[in-house]
Amino acid sequence: MALLAERGGDRSAARSRTGLRGLRGTRGTRGTSGRGPTGRRRLVGLVFTAPVLVYLAVFQLFPVLYGFYLSFTSYSPLDRGAPRPVGVGNYTALLGSADFLKSLRVTVQFVAEVLPFAVGIALGLALLANRRIPGIGLLRAGLFLPRIVPLTAVSLVWLWMYSPDGWFNDLAASLGLAPRDWLLDEDSALHSVAVMRVWKALGGNMVLFLAGLQAIPGVLYEAAKMDGAGAWARFRHVTLPGLRPVMVYVVTINIVYLSQSFAEIFILTGGGPLGSTTTTNYLIYQEAFQNNRFGSASAMAFVLFAAIFAFALVAMRGNGRK
Amino acid sequence: MITNRWTTADRRGFLTAATAAGVLLAVTACGTGGGGAGGTTGGGDANAALTVWFPGNSAPEIELVTKKLVPEFEAANGAKVQVTFVDWAQISPKLNAGFAGNSAPDVFGHGPAAAAGFAAAKRIEPLDDRVAALPAEDRADLEPYLAGGQVDGTQYLIPLGGNGVLVAYRKDLLSEAGVTEPATWAEAAEAAGKLAVRDGGTIQRAGLMLQSAKIQRVQSFQALIGSEGGTLLSQDGRQVTWNSPEGVKALEYFAGLYGGDAKVSDQLGRDFANQPAGQNPLATGKAAMVSATAGQVLQMVKAVPDLASKIGVLPPLRSADAKTFGGATTGLFVNADSARKDLAWKFAAFMVSKGVNERYAEAVGGLPVRASAAQGAYVTGQPLLKPFIDAAPAYQGSPNVPAWVQVRDVLDKHLEEALAGKATAKKALDDAAAEAGPLLAAQ
Repeated sequence: MALLAERGGDRSAARSRTGLRGLRGTRGTRGTSGRGPTGRRRLVGLVFTAPVLVYLAVFQLFPVLYGFYLSFTSYSPLDRGAPRPVGVGNYTALLGSADFLKSLRVTVQFVAEVLPFAVGIALGLALLANRRIPGIGLLRAGLFLPRIVPLTAVSLVWLWMYSPDGWFNDLAASLGLAPRDWLLDEDSALHSVAVMRVWKALGGNMVLFLAGLQAIPGVLYEAAKMDGAGAWARFRHVTLPGLRPVMVYVVTINIVYLSQSFAEIFILTGGGPLGSTTTTNYLIYQEAFQNNRFGSASAMAFVLFAAIFAFALVAMRGNGRK
Repeated sequence: MITNRWTTADRRGFLTAATAAGVLLAVTACGTGGGGAGGTTGGGDANAALTVWFPGNSAPEIELVTKKLVPEFEAANGAKVQVTFVDWAQISPKLNAGFAGNSAPDVFGHGPAAAAGFAAAKRIEPLDDRVAALPAEDRADLEPYLAGGQVDGTQYLIPLGGNGVLVAYRKDLLSEAGVTEPATWAEAAEAAGKLAVRDGGTIQRAGLMLQSAKIQRVQSFQALIGSEGGTLLSQDGRQVTWNSPEGVKALEYFAGLYGGDAKVSDQLGRDFANQPAGQNPLATGKAAMVSATAGQVLQMVKAVPDLASKIGVLPPLRSADAKTFGGATTGLFVNADSARKDLAWKFAAFMVSKGVNERYAEAVGGLPVRASAAQGAYVTGQPLLKPFIDAAPAYQGSPNVPAWVQVRDVLDKHLEEALAGKATAKKALDDAAAEAGPLLAAQ
């Protein structure tokens, strides 16, 4: 098999080299005029991609660049003048801002609380949903349901569930426990939001893992069985390595989403009590739209961006190791 | 053997993360379109529809304004009006975006606390001359609430409605406990001690529950410090005065309701004012006395009609003085860049005209801004409104200074610490003063 792969690889490389040579040849003879087949193809390609490129430039790239520019200015939308340059003042101010540093800690804690459960339980559910058992379609649909309900609607439902007369206190009462203010207690508010967020993330993650599981060739499991591997060994040496690309994606995308948490915070706790659930994204909202300090808010957004980028990179590196 | 696909996945994942992070920045980068001094909605077209933004999402208010009042105004003035209701939480962000993009409406509603900021940025039209041109009878009728829409003596906002916060109580629960109606804050605390029902360390029924959710706790504190004879800010609005002995006493009283051995209340931080009226602790019997607005009291009775005979409202409680939070609530501003200022003013004047304003107050469950409405069918038909009308002289609103929203948030944060027992009243107020001082100085 190794030999075949090597030969196959050689043939593929040879084709690639030939193709490259051919392409270079085309460029050398006709492409330079810009009117040959390659030039026309490029022009047609450009025309077809232009709408998307324009969209991306105007609605994605420009706001990012403008936001980056704003982060070096002082600007209120109520002001009639242009943004006033302040150099790196907004960034240095953040270093001394207790509220901002606390919001970063809260964000990291929130991600750390949600991520392991949102990934681990989703993987378990995917393994369950991957089995051929009666009613599996219904089970999959039920498990996916939280994913398709808007986060705002879900948050409102959970707001009631956490209320003094809500489901959790009913459950506590039935177990003989004292009721508590889940979202008003500094010690429980962030954990309560995290529980809701885990539940919300399960469906989407499960589907991704399910797709990953179904992409693993069955022959690998058969071979492992023939070699005497038990269920745990098959999971450890076939399933997990086979899921690695999906795992990298799921962990990365969850870090990106969770680090930007806003709607659930806005609805469930409003950042309280005592700032214990004020994530950085929520603080950015307050700074920009309550305090009208767009420059400072933009600086926060870019620091958050850098933090998310670093987290995602670490996650990918960590998950990507053999 | 499974081949390691890390390299490809790594790149894809990396691109995905980078793209998603880019989208995050696009959303949070707060892009604006600069701040030109050009025209607003409708640009320079004076014949285009008058655009009006109302804050709120109250169904009866939307129904009345869009289906009755606006058609009446259009018919009377031969004009076209385009009304948009914007959720309270979103009105500031939308207005900011509108001002930055030169698309703010001709007329918009907001609270008086926003007036100073808009005025400092010259985004709103001074209305003194237009108010002065109203008939003398109208001016006198509106007089009590007009002051709430002034910044440094200049009229910028026409109040649409008023409201005040008073202590409402359950007559049946006071009667059961043999407690008479308190007249002072000290008597209220004593009564609350008798009315509170405890089970070990848990409060089963609160004796006295003041509004303690975000921002509401600032309003409760304002009522208490006012009753002690203190103020939040100096007369010129440039210095903090809330850390005075009166302020400390007020905050100690407030925190004492929720903490310590003699605590008489629970649900610290809960926004029961914005819960469905039937779930208000006073309505459910989980509190014997609560602070509430006129609208909240009326809504409770509407939700639970049996409460009509069981709920009473106390006059402003006294300590050194008798003050409470109240005054103009929502009002209308005219955009300084509007191309239809005359029509915009006509609309604002129409909304506070006799009859119209009473209908509006009834729909929103607030107090009419016209003094003459006290004899109107709406007020006389609602006995529970009378204490709120009578308390008008005791009302004091938020300070009208440009930095108020930021200053309020600073104070709110430190009040929360004191109420949660994380800081003493003195320390919390001093810390808040130290943090808010530079904001006021920079105005």
